[in-house]
Amino acid sequence: MEYTKQEFMAIVTGREIKDGQLIILGVGLSMLAGYFAHLNHAPDLRPFTEGGVYGSTPVGGLPWGIECNRISANATSFTNAIDALGFLVASGRCDNAVIGAAQVDKFGNVNTTGIWEEPPWKLGKYVPPRVRLNGSGGANDIAVGAKSYLIMASHEKRRFIEKVDYISSPGYLDGGDARERCGFVGGGPSAIISTLGILRPDPDTKEFFLDAYFPSTNVEEVKASTGWDLKVSPDIKMVPEPTEQELANLRTVDTTGSLRKKG
Amino acid sequence: MHNKLMTMQEAVAAYTWDGMTYCHGAAFPVGSDSVAFGKEMVKQGRKDLNVICHCGSSQVNLLAAVGAVRRVEVGFSGLEVYGFANGLNRAVTSGQTIIEDYSNGAMAFRFFGGAMNWPFVPATVNICNDQQWCSGDEPQVYPATAKIPTITDPFTGQTLGAFRSLRPEVAAIHVTMADIHGNAIMLGSEWSRFEMSRAAEKVVLVADKIVDTDCMRQYPNLVRIIAEVVDAVVYWPLCSWPQASCGLYDSDEEHMFYMNKAMKTAEDTEDYCRKWVRSYETPEQYLDLIGHEKIAKISATETAFLMDPYRKWIKSDAQVAELLDRAKG
Repeated sequence: MEYTKQEFMAIVTGREIKDGQLIILGVGLSMLAGYFAHLNHAPDLRPFTEGGVYGSTPVGGLPWGIECNRISANATSFTNAIDALGFLVASGRCDNAVIGAAQVDKFGNVNTTGIWEEPPWKLGKYVPPRVRLNGSGGANDIAVGAKSYLIMASHEKRRFIEKVDYISSPGYLDGGDARERCGFVGGGPSAIISTLGILRPDPDTKEFFLDAYFPSTNVEEVKASTGWDLKVSPDIKMVPEPTEQELANLRTVDTTGSLRKKG
Repeated sequence: MHNKLMTMQEAVAAYTWDGMTYCHGAAFPVGSDSVAFGKEMVKQGRKDLNVICHCGSSQVNLLAAVGAVRRVEVGFSGLEVYGFANGLNRAVTSGQTIIEDYSNGAMAFRFFGGAMNWPFVPATVNICNDQQWCSGDEPQVYPATAKIPTITDPFTGQTLGAFRSLRPEVAAIHVTMADIHGNAIMLGSEWSRFEMSRAAEKVVLVADKIVDTDCMRQYPNLVRIIAEVVDAVVYWPLCSWPQASCGLYDSDEEHMFYMNKAMKTAEDTEDYCRKWVRSYETPEQYLDLIGHEKIAKISATETAFLMDPYRKWIKSDAQVAELLDRAKG
């Protein structure tokens, strides 16, 4: 069965999503994972977007944006950002979410803001980034307010680093009870799903360890692709390959195959 | 209540100036935004702008690409699936434009604070991370303490971030339909247009369609922007193009990629402006430039049914022209 790394990552992320959850989804892989879950095993999933689009499933392929007509065509309600990110997420009502990351570190902190020659926290001053990314968007609000959330990222050493250049969306900060000390409503990231495996946080230290790896790789390769000394679960597992049904359901969402082309 | 219709040229001349704090909305990367208003600002040579936008869009991408933006406050600065905003990113990485980052939620809360005339808004987002500690306005200070100072909840003792409320001098807000007084109905996700219309000192609506006020009387619950807060109404069909407008047209995928690619360099940006910004004056010329085959294609949208309840109140171009003449009185 042929499938891409991106497709597998979306399916594995989707498997983490439970039926009945109130879930906020962003554009691209996040939406693909969410609507795959909706179609595959979570018929009563309650997905919404940070712009306030409720109750819809995309038509005509993956939406170009979270306000695109492909997601607006069969919505049951349109509201706004203060409703979606405030009344539902910041209030602590939202069960789950999926966010992306340009960089992620061992405590699940995410950078989607910029890449610096020397990170601001090293320089002791703020300077313009060498590469500007998108900013946090709603991911910071989700990271702070959702009961739990999932992080998706391509597993490369330059992305999985000891400490991110800039924390756009806080995971467990410097570990332990750091989130509690900040007074965040939400519980933090429950998993990092990469193109190589699944990482989960240690219950006490909150450092992410390798819980399972994809059939296409092995533990050594995952460790070598990680920029910190990645700990491995004593009962490390291999992630089951996508079933034909899962793949069919995923491609029913991604009808235009936009993520199949990405390899 | 008086007729607030005016031409795009008149609205930009009257409501924008160099050095102003300008807010555009809904400021979606891919959906509704007053993009045509931003193009007219480029034509009229506005510069030194302090731009506030919820999410960056093709509008701020263009304004930054031509060097018109001194500073921008955003929650998100990309173009979603269309990629990073090349013009804005070029301006930011070169140091020409200061970017002050917040989250989308924080921007919404700050508009709400402005609408309420509160000096600040307390929230737990954006704190304990670099959005709190890195400041484009205070590049020499890390961690920055003036961007999002912390305050203590007097009831529980919890630490919260204090967010400066937003009061833009002018907001140019895209709406699906408006009457000549400034009552408006928006289809699709609203983002922060409701709060933005109450937070801004002056509000210009840029509408895809002008409808009779009887339409508003039929759907008063849906009239989220009210004449009482609106200063001017501009009729400009396809005013969000190449972005989408729910119920009316899809984003123009081909042009979105083409436009963003052009924003990568100053030379290509100038070439783009010559072809697509400075080459028309009237809405008719603008539509001819986009091309009627293209318009038919993007107008065949899956959301077209959402417009059905409102169609009987839509004014024709001739009727709008007559109303515009009357407004000039």
